[in-house]
Amino acid sequence: MFFESIKMNIKSQLEYKSSFIINSISQFFIFFTFYFMIIALFQKFNNIRGFTVYEVLLCFSIIQFGFAFTETFFRGIDRFEDLIIDGRLDRYLVRPRGILFQTLCSEIDLVKIFRIIQALIIMVIALIKLDITWNILKVMVLIFMMIASILIFFGLFVLTASYCFITVQGLEVKNLLTDGGKNLAQYPISIYRKGVVFVFTFIIPYGFINYYPLLYFLGKTNNILYLFSPFMVLLFLIPCLLSFKIGLKHYNSVGS
Amino acid sequence: MKAYFNYFKLRVITNLQYRAAALAGISTQFFFGITYIMLYLALYESNTSANVPMDLQSLVTYLWLQQSFFALIYPFLKDQDLLKMIKNGNLAYELIRPQSFYFKFYIKMISERLVAASLRCLPIIIVGLLLPSPYKLGLPASVESFLLFIVSLSLSCLLVSALSMIIHIITLFTIDSRGIISGYSVIAEVFMGAVIPLPFFPNFLIKIGNYLPFRFIGDFPYRVYSGSISVIEGRNLLFGSISWLIIAIIVGYLISKVALKKAVIQGG
Amino acid sequence: MSYIIVDGISKTFKVTKRNSGLKSALKSFFKREYVLIDAVKNISFEIEKGEIVGYIGPNGAGKSTTIKMLSGILLPTAGNIKVNGMNPFADRRKYVSNIGVVFGQRSQLAWDIPAEDTFDLLKDIYKLSDEKYEKNKSELVNLLDIGEIIKKPVRSLSLGQRMRCEIAASLLHDPKILFLDEPTIGLDAKSKKIVRDFILKINKERKVTVILTTHDMMDIDKLAKRIILIGKGQILYDGSLEKLKTKYGSYKKITINTKENISDIKLKGIISKEKIDNGYSFVIDSNIITISKFINYLSNRYSINDMDIDNEGIDDVILKLYQDYEI
Repeated sequence: MFFESIKMNIKSQLEYKSSFIINSISQFFIFFTFYFMIIALFQKFNNIRGFTVYEVLLCFSIIQFGFAFTETFFRGIDRFEDLIIDGRLDRYLVRPRGILFQTLCSEIDLVKIFRIIQALIIMVIALIKLDITWNILKVMVLIFMMIASILIFFGLFVLTASYCFITVQGLEVKNLLTDGGKNLAQYPISIYRKGVVFVFTFIIPYGFINYYPLLYFLGKTNNILYLFSPFMVLLFLIPCLLSFKIGLKHYNSVGS
Repeated sequence: MKAYFNYFKLRVITNLQYRAAALAGISTQFFFGITYIMLYLALYESNTSANVPMDLQSLVTYLWLQQSFFALIYPFLKDQDLLKMIKNGNLAYELIRPQSFYFKFYIKMISERLVAASLRCLPIIIVGLLLPSPYKLGLPASVESFLLFIVSLSLSCLLVSALSMIIHIITLFTIDSRGIISGYSVIAEVFMGAVIPLPFFPNFLIKIGNYLPFRFIGDFPYRVYSGSISVIEGRNLLFGSISWLIIAIIVGYLISKVALKKAVIQGG
Repeated sequence: MSYIIVDGISKTFKVTKRNSGLKSALKSFFKREYVLIDAVKNISFEIEKGEIVGYIGPNGAGKSTTIKMLSGILLPTAGNIKVNGMNPFADRRKYVSNIGVVFGQRSQLAWDIPAEDTFDLLKDIYKLSDEKYEKNKSELVNLLDIGEIIKKPVRSLSLGQRMRCEIAASLLHDPKILFLDEPTIGLDAKSKKIVRDFILKINKERKVTVILTTHDMMDIDKLAKRIILIGKGQILYDGSLEKLKTKYGSYKKITINTKENISDIKLKGIISKEKIDNGYSFVIDSNIITISKFINYLSNRYSINDMDIDNEGIDDVILKLYQDYEI
């Protein structure tokens, strides 16, 4: 069913060929700017708490990859307020499938695929410049980081969607959790002060996906435990999914 | 004129309903402020011998002001009414109204920004002022700097609204607005110093930035406040700000005329 | 036991109180006041399998809220719903496999691509077997005459064509109950007829129980033997349409063509008097005053060019009903 709806989505978006192409190109080039700004900043400074520009770019690109991936393929959950406002949620409720599943299937944003590609390009550049001594464990940790990065944003999007069940007002809070978190986690979490590090490691587990495994990957530690720290994101998903369930119950009793 | 004022009042009332939005905005801005400051603290502390373009206190002040007035000068505030009107061709109806189409929406944009910012800026400024060093929002460099800051920031709001108007109207001439809007937003954000402050740009980018209107919106007021731009220099820069404003209004006004004509010919 | 049992359901919403003016807007920015609104108050009814029930009432009467509760979208604040022995909320997935819902003002079809693609997706959603899907689809396509239509992008269809596709989409999984929320809103005469004929047909052949809300009384007249009238969240009338018609059927509409001015008539049984283009239009209750007596009265006093006697249409009956209940 997921693939059937992806197929449908792609078909829909390709109906507007020229605007699709223009959008894709602009997305692709414009968002390089943000990577470029990091490089520019490191013209004035040569490291940030021991991390060099390419180490930061690697961290940045992994987070961007997860974010772009979630935005592209799970747009429905990203724009959950729309589902509530335009009544599609009611439609999903009268269908014999899980609400979250239907939501995930509802929309993909093809244009943003180019941001995924872009993140991958930056990642490759950073990896080349970093001169990594590769081994199977390092490949594994990199893949773990990428998957965990998708999952953490997925969790956050589900969390903010749960908020929409209660009210569609004050959705700017969503930016705090997703955009704000993304912004924060573009740099290794250790550059921040203690309180922030604590919150964004143990409450929202950015630290477990962009810092500890990064240390292992960059050879700054040999502690094998760090290799598995991205799995902490699974713990984070539990309360996110639970709150979605609770939110749905609330919607059932209050309506929109 | 009275019609415009009533219009302004209506917008204020409408926006007051969005209390949750204001609270969310404040916390978001606060969060961004703190994390940005920590980022630069880390950079400054890791590179004690670096040749930095701004002292830390001015930079922190710059970042706080940026967050405080984010809603006032955010590069692109989507006006759903206007976009919808452009999309479905109801623009033609605007011709039968007595007020000027351009100024009606221009006022609407300004008032929306003013209301949003006035609900958000005070808490951030107060907390910023009370924070301990190095997180503290500094006081203005002098009374003249402060006055210049107020004047230039007011011009910023007028200018960014005028530019927003142009972008909104341009979408009429294109099939799909998304590319243009995101393109404009990113360029504007970068060159008003919202991603990294302008002084940290490489030289060639600073030069490009000097030829664009955006530095007058988000960079100039904040630097004149902390004294990173001197009062004399600031006074001169005001002329740049005013010239851009006049240009933007004239361009917006003219293309709105063309747009209306087009809407009429297409028959809505 | 009845097929659908609605037992004393209520639904209360909390709404922010708003007054006009800048001052109260500022006040409510800091302190919000809420009011409780009863959208539906203690409603009970039963529906048998295979019935077509018209659920009517003015805007805001609680029609949509009831439909939402019946279809398992909204949980009642109080009361119980049992449909075919099932509680709509206890096992949502099982329950909704048996119902079809058409929201007249909202589309479930993907806008930019042909409806057939949406049908394919629905096949997956409802886990229909290939044969069942193909058989059902071709049947619906024939009945609704949409063979060509489902191959065109939905955005290029007329409202009537789209509604026919919507209805087909809601019936692909062969539900036993169909909820129609204003299915004929905005349709042209031909589309209305197709939709009505179709509803009658599936009701008869597939024994689908149909509950429809509408503002178009012709829908009711053509489709529903039974109506439930709701106003201000309460059921005001539940019974056959025929009974309503006889109750108000003694009302006759008499149109008089005259050039003269007719002043107030001092007779009992005159419900209304209205000046029209070249004369007057009266509504009288023929149980109180016979038509002949009324006409005699008029022709003795005024010169009448022409006249016309009509039974009141269903629209007027319902309107009168609304007036009687002051809703």
